[in-house]
Amino acid sequence: MPDSRNQPELLSPELLARLERLELVTRKIFRGRLKGERRSRRQGQSVEFADFRNYVPGDDLRFMDWNLYARLDKLFLKLFREEEDLHFFVLLDASTSMDFGDPTKLHYAKQLAAALGFIGLVRADRVQLETLGGSRRARAPVLRGRRSLRQMLECLADMQPGANVPLAESLRHFALRNSGKGILVLLTDLLDKRGYEQALRVLLAQRMDVYVIHILSPEELEPDLKGDLRLVDCEDGEVTDITVSRPLLDRYQKTLAAFVAGARDFCTRRGMVYMLVSTAVPVEDVVTRYLRQRGLVR
Amino acid sequence: MSFLNTLAWWQWVLLSAVPVAIVLLYFLKLKRQPLTVPSTYLWSRTIEDLHVNSIWQRLRRNLLLFLQLLLVLLLLLALLRPGCRGTQLTGQRLIILIDNSASMSATDEQPSRLEQAKRRALALVDQMRSGDAAMIIAFADTAQTQSFTENRRMLRRQIEAIAPTSRSTDIGEALRAAAGLANPGLTRLEADQAVDESLPATLYILSDGGFPAVPDFALENLTPVFLPVGQAATGNLAIVAFATDRNPAQPDRLQAFVSVANFGSEPATVIVELRLDGQSLDLVELSVAAGGESGWHFDLPDLDAGVLQVVLERDDALALDNMAYAVINRPRRARVLVVTAGNEALRMALNTPQVQQVAEVTCVEPPILTDAMHLRQAAAGAFDLIVYDRCQPAELPVANTLFLGSLPPGGAWQAGPVGDVRAIIDMDRVHPLTQLVDMTHVKIAEGRPLQPPAGSTVLCDSVLGPALAIAPRDGLEDAVLGFPLVVAENGETVPNTTWHLRPSFPVFLYNAVRYLGGSHSALVTASAAPGSSVTLRFPAQIESVTVRDPHGAVKPLQRTGQSPFTYADTHVLGVYEVDAGAPQTVVQRFAVNLFDPRESNLQLRSSLEIGHETVPAQPALQPARRELWRWFVLAALIVLLLEWYIYNRRVYL
Repeated sequence: MPDSRNQPELLSPELLARLERLELVTRKIFRGRLKGERRSRRQGQSVEFADFRNYVPGDDLRFMDWNLYARLDKLFLKLFREEEDLHFFVLLDASTSMDFGDPTKLHYAKQLAAALGFIGLVRADRVQLETLGGSRRARAPVLRGRRSLRQMLECLADMQPGANVPLAESLRHFALRNSGKGILVLLTDLLDKRGYEQALRVLLAQRMDVYVIHILSPEELEPDLKGDLRLVDCEDGEVTDITVSRPLLDRYQKTLAAFVAGARDFCTRRGMVYMLVSTAVPVEDVVTRYLRQRGLVR
Repeated sequence: MSFLNTLAWWQWVLLSAVPVAIVLLYFLKLKRQPLTVPSTYLWSRTIEDLHVNSIWQRLRRNLLLFLQLLLVLLLLLALLRPGCRGTQLTGQRLIILIDNSASMSATDEQPSRLEQAKRRALALVDQMRSGDAAMIIAFADTAQTQSFTENRRMLRRQIEAIAPTSRSTDIGEALRAAAGLANPGLTRLEADQAVDESLPATLYILSDGGFPAVPDFALENLTPVFLPVGQAATGNLAIVAFATDRNPAQPDRLQAFVSVANFGSEPATVIVELRLDGQSLDLVELSVAAGGESGWHFDLPDLDAGVLQVVLERDDALALDNMAYAVINRPRRARVLVVTAGNEALRMALNTPQVQQVAEVTCVEPPILTDAMHLRQAAAGAFDLIVYDRCQPAELPVANTLFLGSLPPGGAWQAGPVGDVRAIIDMDRVHPLTQLVDMTHVKIAEGRPLQPPAGSTVLCDSVLGPALAIAPRDGLEDAVLGFPLVVAENGETVPNTTWHLRPSFPVFLYNAVRYLGGSHSALVTASAAPGSSVTLRFPAQIESVTVRDPHGAVKPLQRTGQSPFTYADTHVLGVYEVDAGAPQTVVQRFAVNLFDPRESNLQLRSSLEIGHETVPAQPALQPARRELWRWFVLAALIVLLLEWYIYNRRVYL
């Protein structure tokens, strides 16, 4: 099991510079709690003019365009673009199975979380990082603003693997605590023997914009095993005896492909965005290219 | 199967440790190396369905162990040098002579002697080691030689292709073909210098031995092995002769003569049936002593033409000789032209009823020899025989000729000076021309000793020298009598001999008309031996004929020059029909019969005489040990491949 202390730093200065130019996008209309720097699709109060509409009784007279009334003798109401903040949740799976690979899947997840969180902080969104099934202390406070970057990174660095809680249970807890709407990015390897379907279904009720980023290490995608092996599950200690042969590896690949295809299908049918990421792919590529393609950032 | 120990005891001890080591290693192999993985979730789903078949999986895993143990066992067995009793071929070069003559069609071996010989030849080919070369020679009276080859498949194909024949046996040609390899010839320029390297070869003769000894043959580098085929004491009844001729007592009637031989060791009684064109004509029961022969005359009604068939009502080992054919062809009167300046004795002798029955005689004067019409007729073959009495044509005609007191033109025939012949001192009594001609008391005044050309036969010798000779000429024959019958003296014709007063004179002329006129062969055609060539005489204007063999196959023949037709495809026993085209359909028939006591004698010979050597019969090949270890090594290799395949294809826990 690799030592997490030897892992590279979460965000490099070059990446920070590139992330500055990005912002988080939501496909749904949310009502932010505070004014943010985000131009919402909602129309509301801001300095940026959007449109006119006819006056109906009850409208705020402060937004009446009096100049037009003087010219046309008709009442029009000025509409403005609403600027608002966004609730951005990042959920990290910190089970023991995530502590594998080089870099570990957990570290990779932290890098992704840091990058996305930074984008949110820069745009004055409300960023909240949590580990699944983590204790109350493991939860970072709601962060906002560029100045919270340091706090966010410290919080991420404190996250340790070992929280082996079933995915469904921890997501239910999360859903109960956070009824708000926003963007949810779930960083997990989905390797839960009880299945991921029940867990993801919990998030549907929240009307959140859900992104499932499925992180697998190259060792899981292309296992390089030989000989007669006794495989020991690091989470529950379950033992599986295998004798590695070409046909067995072929069967494994088929199983893996079916597993990934099942997850993608499940998510797509339910309006979630699914993305399989190998830890061999650089984080900045994932953020600046793949997530951009998926529409999470722009 | 037997084994030979090839290793010392301590080597065996070491080797026997190998299987134990494999089993031990197998148990060691089962100790799996533990490996911690993020999750066994995907792995357990991968092998989920294999759990269902886990017993089979375990068996399959053990299969590898069993295969490895089997591999070692096979190798150990191979080290024991297993072998079995087999037969040993000697020599790296084999020449296999297979007899396919008539006697090899005997069915005392199932299905026949030839099939048995082919089976044994195939067994010989199977025993060939790699690098051995063999040559197949099928022989009857001629040999069919194949080239030397190491290709066993080709050898098998060549052996399978050998078909039975009805021919007689002569091993000489086959031996000469075989000797061509083993004893290469010497160059003529430098004596004792071999043209090629001599290659010793073993000569396997698969035959019943029914062929004459080969006295003038040197085996030298050939080592003969005689493998007799057939049962030792196989009896057989055979027709060894069947002929028809005119009845001497009643010349207008025919008689048939059949001779049956018994080649068995027991006396036998057999019913002989005579058929004419398939219809039964007569039956007779013949008793034939062991090793003896018995004959019978059948009197036949007056026949114009037909096919006579004689059948032995007996089912014995050789069916070919239980049937014989004879052909009576439609008689045709010979066209005879006599060119004479006047010879009463000759005219009278040719006017006898016997001669008139077989010939149409025309007498003309010598001046006709320059007549253009006559020359055209003579050149077109309008006559069968032309008799020149004391005269000579400018060119020999396309006909048989008989010269009386003169010589044929062209200079091939020469004669000495005229002298006093006095008497005849020797006669050929076998030749058809001089059969039954007795000239003991004949007196002759003058004549010339003949100097006939090469290839001729002297039929009659006088005190001076040859007095009567016959010589072949392009399929025709010229007979010359060295003395005239009459001479002209003072303008009168006086006899030169007393021959015309003797009965032998008309007999001679009758013989001449029958033999040279062709009516002898027309009446009763002699039987031909299978494989021999048959000469077919037809008038010169017929350019082509077709021959239909007993199986119905038709072969056209074209005449080349003036020579008669020659038909050589007489492989099948039976009656052949010759068709000269319209208007007559079948104009001539001839029969092909076996009539070979040597082929009909199915007794197995105990030895062969080749050159000065006596080759004893070897009932079987020399027993030898056949090594089987190669097969065990091969099996081990196959097991190894199988093990490798299963190891690579396996999917189990």
